[in-house]
Amino acid sequence: MAIESLTVEAAQALASGYTAIGAGLAVGLTGIGTGLGEMSIGAAAVGATAEDRGMFGLALVFTVLPETIVIFGLVVALLLLFV
Amino acid sequence: MTEVISGTAPYIYVSTRMRVRKAKLIPREEYLRMLNMGLPEFTRLIEELEYKREIDELSASFKGVDLIENAMSWNLAKEYQRVIAMAPGEMKGFTRDYLHKWDIQNVLSILRGKELGLSDGKIRAVLVPAGALDAPTLDRLIAESSNERIVEQLPIKQMSAILGEGLSEALETHSFGKIENELYKYYYETLIKAARGGMKGGLPFLKYVMFEIDIKNITTVFRMRAQGGDNASQQNIWIPGGAFKPEELERLSNIESTDEVVDSLKKKIKVTVLLDALESLREKKPIYSIESTLIAAQLNQMDRFSKRNPFSISPLLVYLERKKYEVSNLRAIARGKEAGLASEILEKYLVM
Repeated sequence: MAIESLTVEAAQALASGYTAIGAGLAVGLTGIGTGLGEMSIGAAAVGATAEDRGMFGLALVFTVLPETIVIFGLVVALLLLFV
Repeated sequence: MTEVISGTAPYIYVSTRMRVRKAKLIPREEYLRMLNMGLPEFTRLIEELEYKREIDELSASFKGVDLIENAMSWNLAKEYQRVIAMAPGEMKGFTRDYLHKWDIQNVLSILRGKELGLSDGKIRAVLVPAGALDAPTLDRLIAESSNERIVEQLPIKQMSAILGEGLSEALETHSFGKIENELYKYYYETLIKAARGGMKGGLPFLKYVMFEIDIKNITTVFRMRAQGGDNASQQNIWIPGGAFKPEELERLSNIESTDEVVDSLKKKIKVTVLLDALESLREKKPIYSIESTLIAAQLNQMDRFSKRNPFSISPLLVYLERKKYEVSNLRAIARGKEAGLASEILEKYLVM
């Protein structure tokens, strides 16, 4: 009985642990992806804005487009943790 | 100033800036509009463009078309220096090497000017300090008493050695053509060496340099054909390193039939833009029109290179060349209008 109860608790702990790791990976890896994407776009956006200030708004929109990737990761993490 | 280089970001930053600057250059339609303007209207328009600051700076020393011409040269030199300062890592080295041709042009202008007995001011007016030799260094060279002293005082030792070898002959024959050939050979040799030096981004640079050598050699073939006569004295005028060997070029320059020359050239050329340009050269054209066609093909191919390699030296080189031709076009329009040339004739001299 004691062994079975311990096993269930251990399994639950293990599951919540894996869930937390999964959530962490979802946010972390998508964050890295976003960073890599924004690095190139950001450099180009700063270059374009340096030459023509009128491009600032458009450049900013393009720069934040890869943010969607990390938002997807965050949604996955929230689903894992709270649903 | 400490330079911080991290990954590809600086290359992307500079390439984008060059693309934006290229997009701001004067478009074809604007040139056509300028051709229909009178000189005062054209002058006013130039003053409204990015040359305003230089025109204001030089307005005390020059006037009229001289002012426009000098302001544009000065703007070009400053712009090139700004591009060098902006270029990151290996790009800076390639850009410096590429702009070295302005040193050759400036030194030859000084030597030719001194030989012709021109005043220091007139020599200074044709210089574009866009290379390694800055304006004070060029001023010091102009102030030297003789051509021998200029060659001795030249800070670029390889150039000094080449000039030293051929100077006495040039002064005797009153022709700097041979020295010029040798200097350009040394220039392209340096570029190929730098591109093959194993540095990152060397391959697109090498491709571009080889293409430029081909264009130069093909232009020389057509020039030689236009001159006619005995071409035996042309030895050593061909620049090695491109698709054609000097012997082939020598043979081509002596062929009478233009069709045969074009067919022979097309056998070795794989670049579509240049193939189309060569095809258009079958019909008889004056040499300036042939040169404009080949330059336009060169610029179009550079545009293609820069699209294929968007974050390399290519966008920077395209901008440098397009800017050079913008200045050259505006100078041609200004001088042409001053001389009263018709718009149709002027248009043929422009690279659009």
